[in-house]
Formats: sequence, structure tokens, C-alpha cells
Amino acid sequence: MSTSGNNVVPLPGVHVRANVRRPALDPERAAALRDALRGLRHEIEEWFEPAPDVAGSRRDEAFDWMQLFDELRHRLGTLGMIERSGEVDEFGLDAVALLRARTLLDFLVDRYWRVDLHGEESLPEHGPVLFVANRSGLLPWDGLAFAHRFLRVRPQWPRTRFLVADWLITLPFAQPTLARLGGVRACRENTDRLLSRGKSVLAFPEGVKGAAKVFRERYRLQRFGRGGAVRAAIENRVPLVPVGIVGAEEAHPVLVKSRTGGRLLGIPFVPITPTFPLLGPLGAVPLPTKWSIEVGEPLALDEVGPEASEDELLVSRLNEELRDRIRDLVSQGLSRRESVWG
Amino acid sequence: MTGLRIAITGLGTFLGQRLVRRWAESPAVERIVAIDRRPPLRTYGRVDFEEVDLCDPVADVRLAEKLERVDVFVHLAFRRFPSADHDLDHELETLGTLRVLNACAAAGVQRVVVQSSTMAYGARPSNPNFLDESHPLHGHPDAHNVQNRLEVERHLVGWRAKHPERELTVLRHCWVMGPTFYDRVVEFFESERPATVLGYDPLLQFVHEEDLVDAFEKAALESHPGVFNVVGKGVLPLATLLALADKRPRPVPRGWLYRSHWLHSEGLYGDPPGAFFDYLRYLWVADGARAWAEFGEPVYTTREAWVAFVASRKMRRYA
Repeated sequence: MSTSGNNVVPLPGVHVRANVRRPALDPERAAALRDALRGLRHEIEEWFEPAPDVAGSRRDEAFDWMQLFDELRHRLGTLGMIERSGEVDEFGLDAVALLRARTLLDFLVDRYWRVDLHGEESLPEHGPVLFVANRSGLLPWDGLAFAHRFLRVRPQWPRTRFLVADWLITLPFAQPTLARLGGVRACRENTDRLLSRGKSVLAFPEGVKGAAKVFRERYRLQRFGRGGAVRAAIENRVPLVPVGIVGAEEAHPVLVKSRTGGRLLGIPFVPITPTFPLLGPLGAVPLPTKWSIEVGEPLALDEVGPEASEDELLVSRLNEELRDRIRDLVSQGLSRRESVWG
Repeated sequence: MTGLRIAITGLGTFLGQRLVRRWAESPAVERIVAIDRRPPLRTYGRVDFEEVDLCDPVADVRLAEKLERVDVFVHLAFRRFPSADHDLDHELETLGTLRVLNACAAAGVQRVVVQSSTMAYGARPSNPNFLDESHPLHGHPDAHNVQNRLEVERHLVGWRAKHPERELTVLRHCWVMGPTFYDRVVEFFESERPATVLGYDPLLQFVHEEDLVDAFEKAALESHPGVFNVVGKGVLPLATLLALADKRPRPVPRGWLYRSHWLHSEGLYGDPPGAFFDYLRYLWVADGARAWAEFGEPVYTTREAWVAFVASRKMRRYA
């Protein structure tokens, strides 16, 4: 390595390539630069250090290990709060948990299931409304995906809360997660409370019968409970909006249901899908089917007063009409798509 | 206007002590008759102590003698720690309340305030997220103190029907948190690593001790007949509460937890572990809107009550 021909002093351990010609740095400028850097460093140090009279002789004290341990313990202890917020809403929805789940939900809605939403222009400008949809699968992916997707078309509305069947919301591990992501136990008291606080609700009146459909019976709507959704909409004076969700029922194609296994685990049945018990937990991953959500025209409940919820025949008729509308929406969604995979 | 004459049972309890201390100086109260099984450690100016054991079969007769010219009866003689002696608890809580009600009826007490608990609704998977006062009481089949409360509530319904001209106020309060309150629940949460049921994370609510005392004071001094849930605002999941307190939970599978804690629970509290831990599995959050409208908004939220509890324990440890 040759350094002849220029006045760069080689630093020990640093190999300077010979063909690089460095400009000469005269000693005066170097000294000025050094002074400027030193001044800057002082300034930065002053910035970070507290005023000397407050800090006192802190530097002179022996290093306080106990303080470090306390600090670390405190930091580690509060680590538990990173994934949760210190306040939840009255039904347990956790904004921080939702924010952390957003990446996954965005991926599922945009890339995995490519969820389309049609017909939202028929909705009123302001909520709340009571959505009623067809149920599919044991896991409430449809509720999660609908709430997430619908927030994009009506960002000014509070997040739609989806109702979850009893057995799922009280199942270990499912309950804390679902509650934090916006699931609410399906019952009249909860629906009334949510609607009266201006939050839209997504109900699945098919109940467990809807979740228990095997692949052969997909998109065949089951009986619609006892008209609880209709009654809730009438009494709370909110629009009743039928929703057809297409694609979700093929995400978990259930071939056989094992009721014995379900009794052992405390759930209605254990689904046997092409992948589920075979691949273990990996088999519980839903298939990337193409989803479309068809939002229908709100049911006309304006002319019936709140006392109509006592009229069993009217409720029954409205319930059946609602079921017909959802069936139409589902077949509309089915005819819209080219294949299961989109 | 002369002040009220108030009789109070359970002088030795937290609530009894706090209420008597407030009323000893208050111009709204003319005379206080304090009733307990044992004499108090300290006495206050206007407080007349009467030693009556509610377990005594003739306690109602003895009580009625002391209740002459009493306007308000505040009944607080309930257990904060379940005891393994079921018969004693039953005698004190259920029959004690019955004797109190009989004595009040005989002595013509115009207003009766009885303490109850939202635990009487029972922690059940089929509960809605908020239980209002009209929700049926289911209790817990294993928790004998909760069963006593159910029986007490049944007696109260009968008494109200029998004496419609009297004012009966029932305050069902949830778990209490605060710097000084102590009971079986607080004892559990004081633990460094509390055992929890694996996979369950219910929403819990607390009421701050000061809000509880305020509600009882208002119920005694003013006319608020009816049943009220005295609870703090807001709910928090158990895991969040423990994380806020810098405590690491010790999640144990349910079957294992209920077996391993059996001896401890049966020996100390006379109930299998489910009597307590089921309240950490399922929802039993009560709706306090009615009480807030009647007694005013609580000062502390659930979170603040919890933080007050945690902060006081930390200060005690490091002081």
C-alpha cells in the first residue's frame, strides 16, 4: 500500500485504497472542526443531562444496582400492558387489541378472502341498524370480517358488534379473544343495550343450526329462531337490514359432524373437514375462498309501532320475509361469482 | 327539624365503622344505636352500644326493646369471610336478618336498609353482559354465603309485600376495592401471583369503598325505597387488572385448580373452590344506572378503585 504523493497519515489498522485521492485538510480547519464538534457535543450533553445543581453529585455515587433491577422489573411488568389497553368499553372491546389485530384482519379481508361488499348505498346515513346474516362455520370469521369490512364503507359509524352464540363465548380461550375483538354474547339484553347506545349489531338468527351445516347443505338457510331479531328491531325502532354472506360457508367445508366428540369438549360438535383433525391446528386455518357480502334493502318497519312486537303472527311473518330476503341475497351473491375461489 | 334516630347492626364491619364515624358528628343524626355481638374497640360520642347476638333465638324480642323511637335501621351484619361453619353463617345471616326484620316490624321502624351483594345474581354462562335489578337471582349452588343472601332476598320480598307503607332499601354491591377495605376477595387479589382459571378472562367491576359508604349513607338518611346495584362505572378484564397491578397471573386448568385448591377452600371458607373461582370464569357484571340516577354518580370508576387498592398495598409494602 503506497501513501506517497499525498499527505494523508495512515491510521493503524485502516487500509486506505491507494487510488483514492483525498483532499488535503489543513491543520487550522481541522482544529476549528474539532472545536465545533466538541461544542456540539457539550450542547447535546446539556440537553440530556438535568441541570447540574439538581442532579448534584449523582455521577459520583456508586452505581445503584437495586434501582436498575427495580426499573427493569417495572419495565418488564408493564410489558403485559403493551398488548392491551387500560380501558375497555362496556362489552369488553379493547382498542389496542383491535389495533394489533388490524394487520391480520386487513390481510384476511383484502388478500385472503378478497371480501367484496355490495348494496351498502341502500343503508341510511346514520346508524344504528340491526344486520341479520346467514351463519357459517364454528368460528365467527364471518362476524369479524363483516365488522372489519363494513367499517370501511361507513367509517363514521361505531364498529359493528357481532353476536356470538353462548357456547362459543363461554368456551375457554375463545371468550377473552372474542370479547376483545368486538364479539358479544347473543341475547336480547345485550342487543338492546348496544342499539340504544348507537352501535350497530350483526345477528345470526340461525344459531347453532347455522354453524352446524355440513358442506352438502351450504347456503341452505335454517329456521330463524323465534323472531328475536325482528322483535329487537321493532322495539328499538332501528332498521332491520338483511345481509347475505357468500364464501364463508366454504371456508370450512365440514364433511362430517362428530357429536360425541363435541360432548367431550363441551361444544355442539367437532367438525371433520378435509384438513381439520388431520393437520392438527393447521387444519383449522380457513380456506382462501372468495367472499362477497350482499347488503339488502332495510325491511320496512316504519308503519309498525313498538307494540307490534307483541303480535306473534306479524313477527312470524316478518321473520319469514327476512329469511326470504337473505336467501335472495345469498343466491344473488352466488350467481355473481364465477367460482368458489373467485 | 330534629335529626334521625338510626340503629345499625354489624358495628364491627368496615361499613358499620365508617357510617358510625360519619354520623357521630353529623347534625342530621340525633342518636345512633349500634348493635353487635362484641363491644367495639372504641366508642364515639353519640353512639349507644347494645350487645345483641343475632344468633340468639330471642334476638328479635331483645332487638325490638332497643328499637324504641328508631327511624332507620341499617342491617350490615354479614360475613366478609365465609366461615367453614355453615350453620353459624346461616344462623347469623339468614335467621339474623329475619329477626331484624321481625323486630323492625314490631317496633315500627319506618326505613330499613339491608346490605346485599351482586354475587347473588350468580356467575353464569347465560348471563347478559349487564344484569339489572329485575334479573332473577340464581346465586351459586356451592357458595353458602351467597345462598344465604338469596334466602335473605326472599325474606325481603315477603317483608316488603307485608309492610308496603315502610321503606325498604336493598343495596346489592359488587366486589369492593379501596385502600382499607378487606374481605375474602381482597385477600385473593393481594396475592403476588393470584391463581386464575386458564382460558377464562371475564370482565369484572369494582366499587370504591368511599362510594359504597356514600351510597349507604344516602340510603339511610334519605328516602330511596327499592333495590339498587351499587357498582362502579366501567368494566375491565381480569388479565388487564392484574397487568395494571404489575402482578403475573398463575393460570391453572380448571379441573386441576378446583382439585388442588379443594382443601384450602373447604378448610378456610367451607366451600369448594368453585364457589369463588366460578366468579372469575363467567360474567356477572351488574348495571348500576338505577343507583347512579338515585344516589348520584360514583366518584371512582372500576379502574380507579382498583388502582387505589393496588397503590395502597404497594405503599404499605415499601413504606
